[in-house]
Amino acid sequence: MRSPARVRAAKWTALVIVVVVAALVPVFETDPATVNIAVFTAMYVGLATAWNIMGGYTGYVSLGHAAFFGFGAYAFGLVLAHLGIQAGYEPFVFVPVAGALTVVLALVIGWIALRTRAATFVIVTIAMMFMIQLLAENLVGLTGGGSGLSFPVPPWSGDFFDTPFYYAMLVMALVSLAISWWIRRSKFGLGLLAIRDDEDKALAVGVPAHAYKLTAFMISAGLVGMIGAIYGYYVTYIYPQYAIDPLVGISLVLMVFLGGLGTLWGPVLGAVILEPAQLWLAYNFGASRLYLVVYAAVFLVVILLLPRGIVPSVGDLVKRLIARRAIGPSGTASTSSDTHTVARVQSP
Amino acid sequence: MTLVLEAVVFGILTGGVYALMASGLTLIFGVMRIINVGHGALVILGAYLSFALLRSANIDPFVSLVITMPAMFLLGVVLQLVFIRPLKEDREALSVLVTYAIALGIEGLLGYLFTNNFAQLNAWYETASFAVFGFHIAYVYIFGFGLCLAILAAIFLVLYRTTFGSAVRATMLNRTAAQLVGVNVDRVSAIAFGIGVSTAAAGGVIFGMTNAFNPGSHYDLISRLLTIIVLGGLGSLRGAVIAAVAMLIIEDVTAVVISPVWASFAFFLLLVVVLVVRPQGLYGIRVRERI
Amino acid sequence: MRKPVSLAVTGIVSVGAFGLAACGSTSPGTSGSPQAAAPITIGVSVSLTGDFSGDGKALVQGYDMWAKDENAKGGLLGHHVTMKYVDDASSTTQVVTNYQNLITQDKVALVFGPFSSLLTIPASTVTNRFGYAFPEPAGGGPSVFTRGIHSLFFVQPAPVEDNLVSFTQWVLSLPASQRPATAAYSTQDDPFTQPQVDKARSLLEAGGVRTVSYKVYPAETTDFTPLAQQVISANADVVILGTQEPDAVAFVKAFQQQHYNPKALVETAGPDQGSDFATKVGSANTEGIMVPAGWWSSAKTPGNATFVSEYIAAYGGTPGGIPSDAPEAYSVGEVVDQAAQKAHSIANSALIAALHTGTYQTVQGPMAFDSLGKPNGASFLVQWQNGVTVPVYPPSAAVAQPEYPKPAFSG
Repeated sequence: MRSPARVRAAKWTALVIVVVVAALVPVFETDPATVNIAVFTAMYVGLATAWNIMGGYTGYVSLGHAAFFGFGAYAFGLVLAHLGIQAGYEPFVFVPVAGALTVVLALVIGWIALRTRAATFVIVTIAMMFMIQLLAENLVGLTGGGSGLSFPVPPWSGDFFDTPFYYAMLVMALVSLAISWWIRRSKFGLGLLAIRDDEDKALAVGVPAHAYKLTAFMISAGLVGMIGAIYGYYVTYIYPQYAIDPLVGISLVLMVFLGGLGTLWGPVLGAVILEPAQLWLAYNFGASRLYLVVYAAVFLVVILLLPRGIVPSVGDLVKRLIARRAIGPSGTASTSSDTHTVARVQSP
Repeated sequence: MTLVLEAVVFGILTGGVYALMASGLTLIFGVMRIINVGHGALVILGAYLSFALLRSANIDPFVSLVITMPAMFLLGVVLQLVFIRPLKEDREALSVLVTYAIALGIEGLLGYLFTNNFAQLNAWYETASFAVFGFHIAYVYIFGFGLCLAILAAIFLVLYRTTFGSAVRATMLNRTAAQLVGVNVDRVSAIAFGIGVSTAAAGGVIFGMTNAFNPGSHYDLISRLLTIIVLGGLGSLRGAVIAAVAMLIIEDVTAVVISPVWASFAFFLLLVVVLVVRPQGLYGIRVRERI
Repeated sequence: MRKPVSLAVTGIVSVGAFGLAACGSTSPGTSGSPQAAAPITIGVSVSLTGDFSGDGKALVQGYDMWAKDENAKGGLLGHHVTMKYVDDASSTTQVVTNYQNLITQDKVALVFGPFSSLLTIPASTVTNRFGYAFPEPAGGGPSVFTRGIHSLFFVQPAPVEDNLVSFTQWVLSLPASQRPATAAYSTQDDPFTQPQVDKARSLLEAGGVRTVSYKVYPAETTDFTPLAQQVISANADVVILGTQEPDAVAFVKAFQQQHYNPKALVETAGPDQGSDFATKVGSANTEGIMVPAGWWSSAKTPGNATFVSEYIAAYGGTPGGIPSDAPEAYSVGEVVDQAAQKAHSIANSALIAALHTGTYQTVQGPMAFDSLGKPNGASFLVQWQNGVTVPVYPPSAAVAQPEYPKPAFSG
């Protein structure tokens, strides 16, 4: 259902403001340590949004997405090494190459994994992830094995270094969001939602479920692979167990669930809350050894209290408040002006 | 060729332990349709409980099971009541996250209490072995295997010879129908979860006697257990046992014939190969499932 | 879809989270350019949780002891030293974040290195671009030195790859009648263990010792019985194992279980963990096991006796039980102190320049660094004899004769 033109204009303005502010973060914030946190946060915004395309819209929960993340990083490093690309801005041009290679991997994995459903699918993705990790460790001639893979190191100064990476991650996050938004409005997206609700019925009414699932999987993986490539370049050295890390895969799923599975902004919210919090907690409380327990406890509380995630739950709450307050067109108008004021500052 | 024979024997012996651990996991899935990714952490918790009893009161690990299994059963029931039962909707996806949170909590707690150094359950007889076919087998492997068989047999007996077992199997087949015929599915779920967790305790002891472990060991363990139960068919105990033994044999033989670094890969590859042919696993049933 | 609302919520929360992250990590650090006698903070990212936490804690002990001794002497060039530790949970993302936080938010004057090559390499890229010197106690795998970073210094006598060289030299120095003819190798695929074992293998093969078994296994292995069985069935004269402590213990126990007694047994790590190792394998079974070492509790290196007694006073135990990470960390501080004295400054650029020249005296012995931070010394061979570890090779460092062949395992 299309909302009135005024509301649409308000939404677009808010969005533009958000993007501009996000882009200006490194200008306002000269402390590289904060830009570093911004890099990882933008990274997870992109990762969570990309995962949501598969897990949220299609309903197939993949716990093995870390495989694509690491594969993208390795592919990128190897491409750079084989083509002899020098460090600097040039490598960023080749990120889509890593993405394309990851899409090919997703085609292979997806073709096998998508034959299964529900819980089996979840576990198969985990198994696939470990297989990719093992390949990275054992194909020593190709990947360096346990000794890791090196990336060229840009000669930028400490104060500036993080900034290009932040923009790269921001671009990827925006691209992921754009694709996610476009899918929601398209027939393809409708098909995915139908698959999520009841796959057999969708098949029965003629949705090409297998092709759609595989496509969503490949899109999701390709985006994740590109983000992984930038990550590898940022930390300058990767190892199999850190590039293909189950914890990364679980974190991004948690972010989506926290924010709201299947929503557009839910993954963004989840990433923006969890990643800075996690880095901050580990920095300040890691030493007490109990931070894992605290993390788990917070995790549990949130899941049990807000099982659908923040965005849908808050959305419902607001809906109820509005319904109680005013009835009729005036309700809509006040909503949009509220968001106009509040959404002015946002830094992903 | 002795090496290959040795590998097969060894695969059977260690497969028993994994079968025991996997049986608890698949039972939990079958009854509640949740993937308990915290099962590995519960195994490690069981191992540490025995470790604590060994260190403080010098109780032999096998003997400590008398204490740890009932304790873990109670823990399982409590966990189910507090964390799992409230998940009314969307059980499978959320259950992964909830049980993962439980696993993290256990890992953090164990790390705090025992540090991250590797531990192992030692017994005075652990280096005693007997010779067969030209190589030695340590007694601990035999005892462990025997214990696994005993507990698995007990589970089968309960499932197929008792009223409670029938209730469990009914719930596994169709939860709503079971409720309609009068089965108290909530109680069955809680008890089944408790049983699953207590088998984790037993598995933990045997695992801990032959493997070094630390609080972080549950990741590797749960990935293997999940692969085993999928291969065997989710919810099928028979499948879990066969899959566990088959996978361990293949893994050990690969280590000998090709190289140890590819052993785990063979493990996962077997799963993929089977799934291409039979997506429901060896003994799984193809059901019309909602995600 | 309630887009305006969700956007609003996202907006509010982002600002909140961001603000928290940006403001929350500042702590009372001092300015980046310390004046004379102003106290300074030295930042270190250590593995206090996660896989490397055992070694991480030993590093902290060593660093703390150095800071205490340094302050007792009046500080580093007069500056009182405070150590600041942050946990990297053995994760790349965290270690990169930690050093950036330490340098730009906490504004520490100096940084010391974390545990293991795995974390040292990404960390060194960060510290290098801020111009900080990076003396580190535990990252010595070959890849550490291939990055073209000139601010890194590996504070151990020898690069990790050369650790087993003294063992191979000893084997090849034996008279032909006694020299072993065959060798079996088994190693983790880890940047610490595998380079050492591979180098030892090439040296021994060149010296005429035939390889009858060579196996690499994943670092995540937990059940070592099958691997031990493979080594046993190869029936070699000497066994060279690339292990950390858990597998070192497991192999020894498996050998004992299977009544296998090689003429010589050397492990890259494990037997150097003192009483911890002895308790786990059984004191009698340690006899004759060898391990490379850069430090030994009774070595007559400058300051070592004081170090040992101070360590025992602070943390208890016996000299043989001191984990080698502690003196390695202590040496890092010693080296920085001497470099600062030489350069008359604690500015990072001055320290980097100073560390590239000259020899430095530490509890691990003398060391000097090449342009990439690689030390140019050698580690020596240590053997368990009568319940304690003693250096046995090379003769210049030896305190006792090497026991060969290794006595059979008891029981």
